Amino acid sequence: MIEPFTTQPIRYVDPDGTPTQALPEKYTPELLRDLHAQMLRAREFDRKLITLLRQGRSTFYAQASGMEATQIGLARSLRAGHDWVWPYYRDHVLGMALGIPVFELLSQYLGTNSDTSRGRQMPHHFASKRFNFASVSSSIASQVPPAAGTAIAQKYLGTDEITVCTFGDGATSEGDWHAGVNMAAVNKAPCLFVCENNQWAISMHSRDQMSSENVAIKARAYGIPGFYVDGNDIIAVMEVCTHAAEWVRAGHGAALVECLTYRVGSHSNADADAEKFYRTRDEVNEWLGRDPIARVEALLERLGHPVTPEERTGIIEATYREVDEAVLKAEATGEPDWRIMFEDVYSDLPDHLREQEAFLRAEQTGGAQ
Amino acid sequence: MTATKEQYQEGAVQSGGEQTRTITLIQAVTEAIAEEMEQDSRVVLFGEDVGARGGVFMATAGLQERFGKKRVFDSPLSEASIVGAAVGMAVRGLRPIAEIQFADYIGPGFDQILSQVAKIRYRSGGQFSAPLVIRTPSGGGVKGGHHHSQSPESYYAHMAGVKVVMPSTPYDAKGLLKAAIRSEDPVMYFEPKRLYRAAKGEVPNHDYTVKIGEGVIRREGSDLSLIGYGGVMPDLLKAAEALSAEGVSVEVIDLRSILPWDRPLVLQSVEKTGRAVLVSEAPRTANFMGEVAYVIQEQAFDSLTAPVAQVAGFDIPYPYVQDKVYLPGANRIVAACVKTLNY
Repeated sequence: MIEPFTTQPIRYVDPDGTPTQALPEKYTPELLRDLHAQMLRAREFDRKLITLLRQGRSTFYAQASGMEATQIGLARSLRAGHDWVWPYYRDHVLGMALGIPVFELLSQYLGTNSDTSRGRQMPHHFASKRFNFASVSSSIASQVPPAAGTAIAQKYLGTDEITVCTFGDGATSEGDWHAGVNMAAVNKAPCLFVCENNQWAISMHSRDQMSSENVAIKARAYGIPGFYVDGNDIIAVMEVCTHAAEWVRAGHGAALVECLTYRVGSHSNADADAEKFYRTRDEVNEWLGRDPIARVEALLERLGHPVTPEERTGIIEATYREVDEAVLKAEATGEPDWRIMFEDVYSDLPDHLREQEAFLRAEQTGGAQ
Repeated sequence: MTATKEQYQEGAVQSGGEQTRTITLIQAVTEAIAEEMEQDSRVVLFGEDVGARGGVFMATAGLQERFGKKRVFDSPLSEASIVGAAVGMAVRGLRPIAEIQFADYIGPGFDQILSQVAKIRYRSGGQFSAPLVIRTPSGGGVKGGHHHSQSPESYYAHMAGVKVVMPSTPYDAKGLLKAAIRSEDPVMYFEPKRLYRAAKGEVPNHDYTVKIGEGVIRREGSDLSLIGYGGVMPDLLKAAEALSAEGVSVEVIDLRSILPWDRPLVLQSVEKTGRAVLVSEAPRTANFMGEVAYVIQEQAFDSLTAPVAQVAGFDIPYPYVQDKVYLPGANRIVAACVKTLNY
């Protein structure tokens, strides 16, 4: 039984790979190697996409390096394409772990014709109906009340789905966050709120964001369980998220999981050098020492199933190949035509938009009045 | 897009001698919701006090009793969660009707309308949509002070992605609300609260809708086009009547839909009359009627024999004691018409 409201983050494996308690049987070397491979793929995906950004192929990227265990561990507690996700903007690893193809992510990232968002969103704000992965909004915490609504609808419709809503620690200062969590709580809606607490909202540290001891404790005020987890320990994340998801799925109502993690990079490429302005190299180094990937590698080493350098290289090269191929394939589809700019504002095209479209058509085809 | 005269004259809409009933505007709202809930189990209704209380104006009275607490339920006192939850419900396949107790209280839900309601279809490339209705009592004339009397419709007309309507008769209130509930798009449905019980009119017994985007000619005329919507409409008709006694023939148009709005109907009328007076009670600056004026001067400039005039509220927070002075009543409308006629 996993208890809520612990004062220390729930942990199964120390940063040096030492189990702090007996690991559940399901964590076989095969599963651990699979989790490790997925985390490493995500890490290298970040690295590769920053390279693409530097090549001028896109304009924005928010890396999730350091947060792989949180997002992949959470994904493992869900039924991809069955449960619903109202994500926030740094959730590409969660999306990948749920099975959204790299090609789809890259199409959105590059704004190509193959982009399911049809080039309307800035890079990194993707949506996938196939995976019930709702559209990412940049407006902080605005996904929280809709997540409550989706969960209320699931309860109304009598499905066995749940809704997951993710957010950073900064989102918990927004009114929408409190409104949404309360709405789900009072309706006993199957909503799992997951705080990916990477401790920095651009340049604001979470200790300046809130005066409560952590995010999980806030759940108490809404009458739902709150779990505080070491977000860099993928086993802890999987165990707690699975426990919370099952509890939610069983009809008990909403729950909150706070994964304490760290983004080792900057907020985004627009954020310059984080260490120059608002945090110290010592702090970053300290968290690099708690790295989720290194932790699983150390655990596997301890269990006598080390990841070999060749295996590591193989994963990295495969990721780069995967990204390169996806980029070429996406870019080959071209840019979305301006003509679609007026579509999807409404279900139909009202006369005023029809006229504006005609104006632009004339301008674009050289026939403007 | 423009409706025929027969379609919008109250009491003249029925064919084959079908029976009609006379009801109030608020009864029309209740009936529309009840009938849509009856025929579509996806329709749910929620908001502050809408359940046992039936809403502060009793617009939803009896609905919880009839449809149960699962379909008609009270929400926490939170506009952000009312609007936001409606988005999530709609995305998952329901047809939520969210009531905001007063239009003045939408503020906390504004981000949800701006960031989620209006954008989700567009930004997801049409993968997700939010077919929902936000109903809210709006406008002044009930001694409500500035937190119970404002007319914020222009904000939403400026926000691509939502449709905005405001009826002034029971017939339109019912038909527009049914159309809004059936719409694939999110609709902001403003209810002129001072007409809730003041406006009485006939509605047919059969099922009908009023198409969003269609205005209506309330009174035909040839000298001047008087254009408004919502709570001011009785004053427009009164002004037209007064001017008629002076031998002036005024055409009165009720926009009914603010976005999209019936440009052909307005332009056709102005081309006929050569004069336009636009009336709304919202503050003048950035008032939606400014857009109507712009389109008239852009597309019917040659027909104009006088500048387009606007009668609006003032650019101040809505005052309590000066309620009746603030509102553009028939006298102020007549004065604007006379000035336009004498230009």
